[in-house]
Amino acid sequence: MAEAMRQINPDVVAAFPITPSTQVIEDFATFVADGKVKTELITVESEHSAMSACIGASAAGGRVMTATSANGLALMWEMLYIAASMRQPILMTVVNRALSAPINIHCDHGDSMGARDAGWIQIYAENNQEAYDNMVMAPVIAEHRDVRLPVMVCLDGFIISHSIETMELEEDQAVRDFIGPYRGLHSLLDTDRPVTWGALDLHDYYIEHKRGQQAAIESAKSVIESVSDRFYRTFGRKYELFESYRIEDAERVMVAINSVAGEIKEVVDALRDAGEKVGLLKIRLFRPFPYAQIAAALRGAKVVTVLDRSTSMGAYGPLFGEIRTALYDAEPRPLVYNRTFGLGGRELFPDDIQELFAESRRYLQNGKVEKIFDFLNVRGD
Amino acid sequence: MSEYFEVRWHGRGGQGTVTGAKSLAEAVQGTGKYVSAFPDYGPERRGAPVRAFDRFADKRIRIHIPVLEPDVVMIVDPTLIGSKSLVEGIGENTVFVVNTEKDAAETKRALGLTGQTLYTVPANNISYRLFKREIPNSAMMGAFARACPQIISIEALIKEAEHAFAALLAKDLVAKNLDAIRCGYDEVRNA
Amino acid sequence: MSDKYKLKKWQDLPPGGVITEGGNAADYETGTWRTWRPVWQKENCVHCLTCWVFCPEGAFLLQDGRTAGGKDRKEIKEIDYFHCKGCGLCVRECPVNKQGKEPALQFIREET
Repeated sequence: MAEAMRQINPDVVAAFPITPSTQVIEDFATFVADGKVKTELITVESEHSAMSACIGASAAGGRVMTATSANGLALMWEMLYIAASMRQPILMTVVNRALSAPINIHCDHGDSMGARDAGWIQIYAENNQEAYDNMVMAPVIAEHRDVRLPVMVCLDGFIISHSIETMELEEDQAVRDFIGPYRGLHSLLDTDRPVTWGALDLHDYYIEHKRGQQAAIESAKSVIESVSDRFYRTFGRKYELFESYRIEDAERVMVAINSVAGEIKEVVDALRDAGEKVGLLKIRLFRPFPYAQIAAALRGAKVVTVLDRSTSMGAYGPLFGEIRTALYDAEPRPLVYNRTFGLGGRELFPDDIQELFAESRRYLQNGKVEKIFDFLNVRGD
Repeated sequence: MSEYFEVRWHGRGGQGTVTGAKSLAEAVQGTGKYVSAFPDYGPERRGAPVRAFDRFADKRIRIHIPVLEPDVVMIVDPTLIGSKSLVEGIGENTVFVVNTEKDAAETKRALGLTGQTLYTVPANNISYRLFKREIPNSAMMGAFARACPQIISIEALIKEAEHAFAALLAKDLVAKNLDAIRCGYDEVRNA
Repeated sequence: MSDKYKLKKWQDLPPGGVITEGGNAADYETGTWRTWRPVWQKENCVHCLTCWVFCPEGAFLLQDGRTAGGKDRKEIKEIDYFHCKGCGLCVRECPVNKQGKEPALQFIREET
């Protein structure tokens, strides 16, 4: 991610280190010290300040980036909303990590899922290649005139962030040509055309501003499709709003986010070899959520297993809620159920995934779901 | 997951175990294979047992889980011998590479191994000779090339490791680490 | 209210709630908040401009004038009741008023 940041060469980076995202900023700070980027690096005293500084720098007309994880993202909370509603196209790497307590540095998606209503575009990545590619696309999406919203590029802590993998990096110039220069709108530093940022709205305007924000994030879907298409034509790697893996004729589909998709693909291949009609739908874009497209992709599926790597305590998982909403109008409506896994870094092995598919086969045969919601790989159940 | 060649490293915090696994992966990648390497972080303290993993393949690697059934076990710190985790998931064909000056047969007995192949390398000794302190990882990489020439030859390892080290180390240290790889390779004993 | 302040549709708002013209607080009528009204008595005023300094709304408008000795100076011209909120600071701080002479600023209830 630091490499993508170096190629993007933003005007300002304001960040506060937190495991497992520390390495991103540490490497980037080296680029700054070595003069490989022209970025102003602001080392702030907290994540709240990091996001505040990002908002100020962005309102001043700069291309701005940062990175964080877990508790750091939580500390940014109020500023996340302000960044989005002030329509500042800030780019942030979120290295997914469990929120305390108990303190845990390992992966789950509780941090970014908790921020799903903040108004940021959220793009998820299965591996380092996708994280890099998503970050190269992120400024083009964020800065598009119909969008102008901040983007979180999320990847799994440690599992991805601390692994090295064979991947393709693009040439600096090719990346810069793809992204193009940034021109801020209504810069605070433009003294010829003074503006006010962060003014007050009462009940006479607040909801109009929110309505506009909703329209902007909705339009991000088609913008992301066209940017991904241009990325494919430029660099040869294809991305859609979500990845459909062997689901065309699949009766049983698993829906998941991030690195676990790799393990699921292996199992899908093995089961396909054994003649089972199974597939994977991997979420890439979680906000805005592509309801209609996902419903269309899952047309024909009879059983859908939704894996959430986070909890919404007292409710079903956040991904499950979206998927079931997307499928409510499907005719015929498939069986849909929810499994929570991987909190705080607990692994989900291929054998576990095999078992999950065995369960979905049983549900298909019996025509009903036995358990709509459950935790996987937890002692005591 | 037999299409993957999997290596599990066991060391202690501060010995360069994770760096060893990552440098080996970078070197193997240089030979045209797909690779991944990653650590298994627990409490991050000097002296605490650390595991790291390598996965090599001829196709893109999609799985990220820890190595459960290693093709090779790299024991960077012999004081870990006795811990069950070292022999977890091993098979008859699992190869061991152990940093020790003890006799290979004795080390096999200590690990409770039956038919498996085991190589020893005095990596601490090599490290003290070259660096005046205990960083056995480069010597272990050399020993790996001796144990698994089908994955990487010593010539390719030295050539590719030079690139990997150049990104991390000053010039004189790059040369010394390449020496450590060479010594590790040369001083392997086998039982 | 001027047409400028007719409530806009969401499509017509600049993104992010940015306000694209500077100094538009001047267009906002705060005079409606007033329950007490300062009334300037020109004949008693010495044009010390204390009221102009203290006024939080800049509601004392100035013009060029001359002292009795013929020197250039700024003088009070009038009170801008579009902005005056009737806080009474000017009345309290007026040095002429403090001397107990005929007041230069009277303060009267709006309804009278």
